[in-house]
Amino acid sequence: MLAFKVENLNLWYEDNHALIDVSMDVPRNQVTALIGPSGCGKSTLLRCFNRMNDLIPKTKITGKILMKGDVEIRDPSVDVVKLRTDVGMVFQSPNPFPMSIFDNVAYGLRCQGIKDKKQLSATVERSLRQAALWDEVKDSLQRNALKLSGGQQQRLCIARAIALEPSVLLMDEPTSALDPIATAKIEDLMQSLKQMYTIVIVTHSMSQAARISDQTAFFLLGELIEAGPTAEIFQVPKDKRTEDYISGKFG
Amino acid sequence: MNKARRRKDIMRTSVTWISASLAVLVLTSIFVFVFKRGAGTFSWSMLKDDYWSKNYLVAFGDVAANDFAPPDTDSEDEFFSRKFGFGLADSVDKENNQLMLVTTVSALSPLHEGTITTAGPDQGKVMAIPLNARIRRIDYLDQENNVKSTGLLGQDHSAEGAIERLEQEATAIREIYFQSTGGGIRGSIIATLMLIGLTLLFSLPLGISAAIYLHEVAPRNKVTDWIRAAVEMLAGVPSIIFGLMGVSMLFRVTNLFGITTQSVLLGSFTMTIMLLPLIMRQTEEALIVVPGSLRMASLSLGASTTQTIFKVVLPNALPGILSATLLSMSRIIGESAALIFTMGTAISDSPKISQGATTLAVHIWTVMAGEQPNFELATAISLLILVLVLGLNVTVKLLTYRINKKWQV
Amino acid sequence: MDRKEKKTIQAKLDSFHSRKLWQDKIMKRIFQGSALLAALMIFFISYFVISRGIQPFLSSYGDEQQSLIAFISGNRWRPDIAPPVFGVGFIIINTLLTSLGAAVLSFPISVLTALFIAKIAPPKLRAVLTTIVELLAAIPSIVYGVFAAGTITGLVKDVGDIFGINTYGGNSMFAVIILLAIMIFPTITSLSVVAISAVDRSLELGSIALGASQMETNFKVVLTSAKSGIFAGLALGLGRAFGEATAVSMVAGNRMIGPTWNPFDITRTLTSTILSGMHETSPGLDYDMRFSVGIILLLVILATNFMIQVIKRKVGGVTHE
Repeated sequence: MLAFKVENLNLWYEDNHALIDVSMDVPRNQVTALIGPSGCGKSTLLRCFNRMNDLIPKTKITGKILMKGDVEIRDPSVDVVKLRTDVGMVFQSPNPFPMSIFDNVAYGLRCQGIKDKKQLSATVERSLRQAALWDEVKDSLQRNALKLSGGQQQRLCIARAIALEPSVLLMDEPTSALDPIATAKIEDLMQSLKQMYTIVIVTHSMSQAARISDQTAFFLLGELIEAGPTAEIFQVPKDKRTEDYISGKFG
Repeated sequence: MNKARRRKDIMRTSVTWISASLAVLVLTSIFVFVFKRGAGTFSWSMLKDDYWSKNYLVAFGDVAANDFAPPDTDSEDEFFSRKFGFGLADSVDKENNQLMLVTTVSALSPLHEGTITTAGPDQGKVMAIPLNARIRRIDYLDQENNVKSTGLLGQDHSAEGAIERLEQEATAIREIYFQSTGGGIRGSIIATLMLIGLTLLFSLPLGISAAIYLHEVAPRNKVTDWIRAAVEMLAGVPSIIFGLMGVSMLFRVTNLFGITTQSVLLGSFTMTIMLLPLIMRQTEEALIVVPGSLRMASLSLGASTTQTIFKVVLPNALPGILSATLLSMSRIIGESAALIFTMGTAISDSPKISQGATTLAVHIWTVMAGEQPNFELATAISLLILVLVLGLNVTVKLLTYRINKKWQV
Repeated sequence: MDRKEKKTIQAKLDSFHSRKLWQDKIMKRIFQGSALLAALMIFFISYFVISRGIQPFLSSYGDEQQSLIAFISGNRWRPDIAPPVFGVGFIIINTLLTSLGAAVLSFPISVLTALFIAKIAPPKLRAVLTTIVELLAAIPSIVYGVFAAGTITGLVKDVGDIFGINTYGGNSMFAVIILLAIMIFPTITSLSVVAISAVDRSLELGSIALGASQMETNFKVVLTSAKSGIFAGLALGLGRAFGEATAVSMVAGNRMIGPTWNPFDITRTLTSTILSGMHETSPGLDYDMRFSVGIILLLVILATNFMIQVIKRKVGGVTHE
C-alpha cells in the first residue's frame, strides 16, 4: 500500500531547477526519511506533498504525485485546503500560535467548522495523549502555548497536526531546534505514531534516519540518488555518493 | 594630527552641536509660547461653554426680598444685593463695551431657580444665572407693586447703580435679561470627536483591507507595484489639494445623502482618503512583523487564507493597527487646510453630521482670521491640541517599543 | 455513532467547507477592491482638480472666460475689483522664493543635526533628540501658524525697526521663510538620519584606517555617501514647503501685486491664495480659480521633484535605498 507515488517530478524556483526528475514511493504506515546535504531538494519535495510550494511565487512543477493510488494532488479539481487537512505538517522550529494550548490544538478543527465543545475537548485530549503531552499539560490547557518549553511546543505542534486525523504527517527537521532529551521524546513518539499515520521526515542527522525510519531516500543537488529500506541504504548502498555521504565524507 | 586639522575637527563638532540645540530651542520656544499665552485662558469653562453668546430672559415669579449676608471676600469692585443674594461688578469686553457681570450668587439666592421665558427649545426650563453672565436688565417690583427696570444699557448700566436701586426700592424680583459669556469650544470639541469617529469608521476598514491585500493576498507583480506607487504618491499630495478634491469630487457623494453644503460627513470622507497612505503603511508594517511561520502553520492545518488572516495574522498585528489608529486621530485633530474647504469655517455650538462645523484646529483658524485675531483663545486651543497630539504620538512610540520587544523573544 | 448520524455530520462539514471557500474568494475580492480604490484616488484627485481648474479658460465658461497666458504671466491678483484680475505668475515666483529660501536655511541645520543624532550624540541624547524631531514633525500646521503669528512676526518687526524698514506688523516673506524652515526641518532631518545610519560601516573604517579622524570621516565620507538619501529628504521637505497652507497664510500677508523681492515686504504663495477669503467666497469664478491655482501647485511640486531626481543622478550617491 502506497501513501504517495511520485512520478518524474521536476520543480523550478524561477531559474533554479530544485527537483530533477524524481520518482519514488512512500509506503503507508511507515516512516520514510529524506536525507541529503542542505539545498539538495529534500525539504522542497516534502512541501510538494501538501502543496505548500503553491505559496512561493514563480514556482513551476511538472510530473505527478499520486495520493492513495489514484489522486493526482496537483489536479485543479483537488481542493488544496482540504488536502492539507489530510496531509499534516510539522515545521523545523516549533511554531505554536500565541494562544492557549487548547486553542492551538482545536485550531484546525474550528477552521473546519466544528464548534461542538464536547467533540472539541475530546479531540484535544486524544491528540495531546497521542503526542505524549497530555500528562504534562492536562491541568493547564488554558495556559499560553508560548510558555511551554521548546520540546513541549514541538509536541504541541504534532498534536495540533494530528487533531485533524490526517493520513500523512510531514515533518521538516522537527528536532533540529531541540535538545537531545526532547529529541529522544519526539523520536519515541514517531515510533508510536506510525501505527496510525504515514510519516515522511526530512532530517539532517544520519543517525536519526537510521534509528527511526523504515525507508530512506538520499538526495543530492535535486536528484534522487537512491531510495529503499533503511537497512539496505545504510549497510549496502548501491551508489558511491550515498556511501560517501553516509560515511561522512561530505555533508 | 596637526593643529589646523584639530581646530577644524573641533569646529565641525561644534556646528553639529549647535544645529542640534537649535532643534531643542525651537521645540522649547513653541511650548513656552503656547503655555505662556494659552494657559491663562485655558479653563474648564472654556471647554464646556458655547462659543456664541446667547441671550436669556429668566423669570423668578416675583420672589420676595430676603436678607443675605455678603460674601467674606469683600472686593472693591463688587456690589452685593443683600435682598436677593448676588453680586455684580463692572467690566469691559474686547470691543470696549460696558459689561455688568455676575460675580457671586449666594447659596440660597432666588437667582438659582429662574425659568427661561425666551422662546425656543429651552423655554420653560429651570436655569440658574451663571457666574460671569452679562446682565442687560433687571426687572423688579417696588413698594407700590409697579414693575420697574434697572441696569439698562445706555441708561444706568453700572453695577453700583443697579444694586443701589434694588436695595432701595425692590420688594421682589421678577425677571433678569442677560447674555451668556460664550467664547467656549464645546461645539468644536464635539465636531472634532464626530470627525474622528466617522473618519476612522471609513478609513480603518478600507486602509486595513488594502494593506492586507498588498501584504497577504496580492501576487508580486507589476500591478501590485503600481498600486504601491500610486498610494505612495497620494502621501505626497498637500492637504489643501485634498480640500479641493473634497469639494469637487466627494461633494457629489455627500449630495447623494441629501447634503447640499459643507459638512462633517464631507470632512470625514476627505480625511478618509488623506489617511489611507498612513493607515496602509502602518498596518503593513504591523503585518510584516507577524512571523511567517504562523501563517504556514495555519495553512498547513487546512485553514483558508481568509481564516488565516482573521484568526492568526490580524490578532497578532493588533498593536500595530492600534498605532495606526492613534496616529490617524492625531492627524485628524491637527488637520486644518482640507477641513476649511470641506467643513467650512463657521463655528457651530451644536454640530451635526450633515452640517458644517469647525474642528479645534479650524476653530483657531476662524478666530485668527478675523479683523481682531483672538490670540488668547487661539493659543489656549493650541495648548489643548498640542497636549492631545503629542500625547497620542508618545503613546504610539511606547506601543512600538513594546511590539518590538515582544517579537524579539 | 451509527452510520446515518455520521453521514449528516459529514454533510454539515462539507457545506461549511464550501461556504468557507466561497467566503475566502469574496474576502479576497474585498481586499483587492480596497487596494485598487486606494490606488485610484490619486487619479481621481488629479482628474477632479484639473477638470474644474481648467474650466475658466475654456470658451464654454461664458463671459468670464480667462486668458491662460494672462493667468500664467500675470503680476496682479485682484479678485476684489470689477472685472477681477487673476495673474498667478508673481505668486509662482514668490512661492519658489519662500520655499527655496526655507530649504537653504533649513537644509544645513537639518543635515548637521542628523549627523549629530546618527554619529556624534551619546546614546541617551540621541534618543532624546530623535523624540524631539518626531514631536516637531507631529505638531500640526495650525499650531505652527499661531506660534509664527505670535513670535516670528514680532521678531521680524523688531529686526525691521532696527534697519528702519516698515514691516506690516511682521507679516512678511522673511517670516514665511523662517516658519517654513522650522516646519521642514523634521522632514529633512529624519530622512537624513536614516540615510546616514545606512552608510556602510566598512567605508568609515576604511577612511579611519587611512588616518582620517572620526569627524573628518563623518564630513568627507559619511555625508557624501548618504547623499542620495539626504536629497530624498530635501525633496520631501520642499514638497511640504510648497504645499503648506494654513500656517503660511497666517503670516504671508497676501500681497496683491508682485513679485516682491524684499524680504520684509508681505508676500503671497500659491497655497495662501487658495485659502485666502475662503469664508466669504461663493461658487463662481473666484472659487474655480482656486482649482486653477491648485493645478499650478501640483505642477510646481512635480517639477521640483523631477529636478531633484536629476540633481541626485548628477551628484550620485553610494547608499542604496
